[in-house]
Amino acid sequence: MAEDVVVAGVGMHPFGRHSGRSLKDLARVAGLRALLDAGIGPQGVQMVYSSNAMAGMLQGQEMVRGQTVLREIGIEGVPVVNVENACAGGSTAFAQAVMAIRSGAADVVLAIGFEKMFVADRSRTLDALESAADLDVVAGLGIQFTAVYGMRLRARLADGSIARQDLADVAVKSHANGVRNPYAQHRVQVTAAQVLESRAIADPLTLLMCSSICDGAAAVVLARGGALPQPGRPTVRVLASASTSGFTLDPAGGPSGATLCAQRAYEQAGAGPGDVDVAEVHDAMAPAELLYAEQLGFCPPGDGARFFRSGATALDGRLPINPSGGLASRGHPVGATGLAQLAELTWQLRGEAGERQVHRPRIALAQNSGGWLEGESAAVNVHLLERTQRWT
Amino acid sequence: MDLADALDRAPTGERPRFDLAAGALVGGRCADCGATAWPARAVCHRCGGADVRLGTFARAGTLVSCTLVMVPRPGLEAPYMLGQVRLDDGPVVFGQIIGLDDAEAVPCPVTVQVSADRYWFTPAGLQEPTGERQDETRVSSDETGG
Ligand SMILES: [Zn+2]
Repeated sequence: MAEDVVVAGVGMHPFGRHSGRSLKDLARVAGLRALLDAGIGPQGVQMVYSSNAMAGMLQGQEMVRGQTVLREIGIEGVPVVNVENACAGGSTAFAQAVMAIRSGAADVVLAIGFEKMFVADRSRTLDALESAADLDVVAGLGIQFTAVYGMRLRARLADGSIARQDLADVAVKSHANGVRNPYAQHRVQVTAAQVLESRAIADPLTLLMCSSICDGAAAVVLARGGALPQPGRPTVRVLASASTSGFTLDPAGGPSGATLCAQRAYEQAGAGPGDVDVAEVHDAMAPAELLYAEQLGFCPPGDGARFFRSGATALDGRLPINPSGGLASRGHPVGATGLAQLAELTWQLRGEAGERQVHRPRIALAQNSGGWLEGESAAVNVHLLERTQRWT
Repeated sequence: MDLADALDRAPTGERPRFDLAAGALVGGRCADCGATAWPARAVCHRCGGADVRLGTFARAGTLVSCTLVMVPRPGLEAPYMLGQVRLDDGPVVFGQIIGLDDAEAVPCPVTVQVSADRYWFTPAGLQEPTGERQDETRVSSDETGG
């Protein structure tokens, strides 16, 4: 790696329903917490990548969203780049910040994501979500993200490699982790029976398996190694950053965007899936975790359910997945999600994750996907983070 | 054929998507590598070539997976069924499935049905339907930002 990039500070605004709070309020709390965590003030930020997906349709702020929220916390007069990549916007902002530092353009860069999906008319939120696809091709078909995941999972139920009980059990695990996360939207323990009996959304998915409409914000301060010394605290550095856009499905089959990004990330890091100690994956529907465990190489293709049943992905397993509760329980305010994953993994690597802390992780993986191009996500980012100090 | 030829390709709104006489989808097929896409694009996604020709795809395909959607959308009453279909000589497409009673039978053969401005799939061998489709929702090219 040419130059070390470290995660110097992270911060979140709790995810959930925050009717009295504006985008500025959400971004203020996440942004200031990240600055405070990094030990800098607003004037220490040299560049910003700002992620938001839906404020154009939902709040009418089609343009310069980053600039409007950043001046609330005293950040102005620096380059601000507005990033939109549907549900993968947050990790896209992070990837751009990594590149800016590696290029030498800046030493300290803020990546911030914020979203406010609760509005008076819920159908507008659904319309905005539907626009994460090529409307020229799929408008009017009734494609919803739940349906996309429903189709992916139905094929696996049909071949017998995943059982309905697995779908429910994953959602139970997500909720159990979310209960321990003070930033999570859904902090209620559920049973498998409750999951299976909850309202049907898109077969085989039920309400309690799905992420829901959410408000929230997350932010990360990235810095060139050594630029912001933090004596006495473990250093978290960026080992790898890999991105792709979606692509047309080959009728003969082929690797997913998540698999391609993971392979590139492992190659950059000189590591493999067996080196990953904790992961946050894009479970917009909790059972997607089973599919991504395979696609990221944590288990062989077809073995996602078996891997999960072994307990490997539980908080005390050998590769805990979504200790935060994941999108399904922590919440999924679209433009903020990717940065919330990276904030969670930073806390895990430092040993600051409280009741949901996993055992002494050294390498962490974040996978964030967004949009849909008739079969494949429109954007995917995979990041690997490393704790450089030994656990004592 | 030169990449510059793609500059003169018909506007997307003027490219045919359906062959009503054949009852099939019309898309693009790359003369160089054979890759297909629906609807047709100006440049091949696989080889980057511009010799993409319009062609009518087979009516027959395989329903790879499907889901019964329980949440209505404008112009669509719930429940409705969506599926992923691999056309016999064409691309993978997504669309509504009408008349499939036994979702457990998937994967199974299906037939594409088209009208002037939309398409859907029915189980192979099912009697030709009489256009009992519900949705009329379609966005103009202005709304798509194109
Ligand atoms: Zn080609």
